Amino acid sequence: MNEQLVLMLEIQDMTAKAKEIESGELGDLERAHFGMDSTAAATTLRQKAEELVEELKPNVRERFRKMVKRFDRAVVPVIGGVCFGCFVSIPTATAGEQDPNADLQSCETCGRFIYILA
Amino acid sequence: MRLRELFTVDAVKLQLESETKDDLLKELISLLGLDDKSEAILFKTVKRRENLGSTGIGKGIAIPHCRSLVANRLRLAYGRKPGGIDFNAIDGAPVYNFFLIVAPPLEVSNQYLPVLGKIAQFAKDPEVPDLLLSLENPQAFLDLLDEKSR
Repeated sequence: MNEQLVLMLEIQDMTAKAKEIESGELGDLERAHFGMDSTAAATTLRQKAEELVEELKPNVRERFRKMVKRFDRAVVPVIGGVCFGCFVSIPTATAGEQDPNADLQSCETCGRFIYILA
Repeated sequence: MRLRELFTVDAVKLQLESETKDDLLKELISLLGLDDKSEAILFKTVKRRENLGSTGIGKGIAIPHCRSLVANRLRLAYGRKPGGIDFNAIDGAPVYNFFLIVAPPLEVSNQYLPVLGKIAQFAKDPEVPDLLLSLENPQAFLDLLDEKSR
């Protein structure tokens, strides 16, 4: 899998987790069962996410930030040949390679970064 | 949805061998049968959650959990470490029983949080810690889930 893609997914995962911990059911569960200080945890996650954004290559970082601003979720899976950002079919040529996520790819329709799930 | 249906015998190990927290997490992850690269990615994500605060909920039980791109559906594993290990649990006691829960980032069925809640509830049943320690084979674990988490 492309390393920039892995990094962006990590960033996205941290940011999503920070949001879930702050305001969602996950935060309630983490507090109730695991004694988590949800405010501190969310702050830590956001800080780490921002540190990782700085590790992206400049051109990828710039596009990633644009996508986040526009869509919130900048990286989305392609499942069954469909982009789970805009729900438009991805050309089959993209989905047949040995490691379909070796290269950084974008959805031709919405522009989000994509990764292929079997 | 029943917890029993989310586990397979292959993802249950009653004799974990690791002696450190990191090694134990890796061994637990290996029960999911992923490729090496996916295991490494998942380990980083599980560790990141542990760094926010231990998932050791006390009474010898820990529930490492996260969302990860390596999972294309909800995946669960159970491991038991005879003798226990230090896992920085909430009560400071050694942890013997480990439930791993991994969900995909986007989950159509939305089972992750209900399952996490159910496992936590199951683990807090006062009889469960002792029952887990007395299990003799993976099938007995599945039967216990069936009995206690309806």
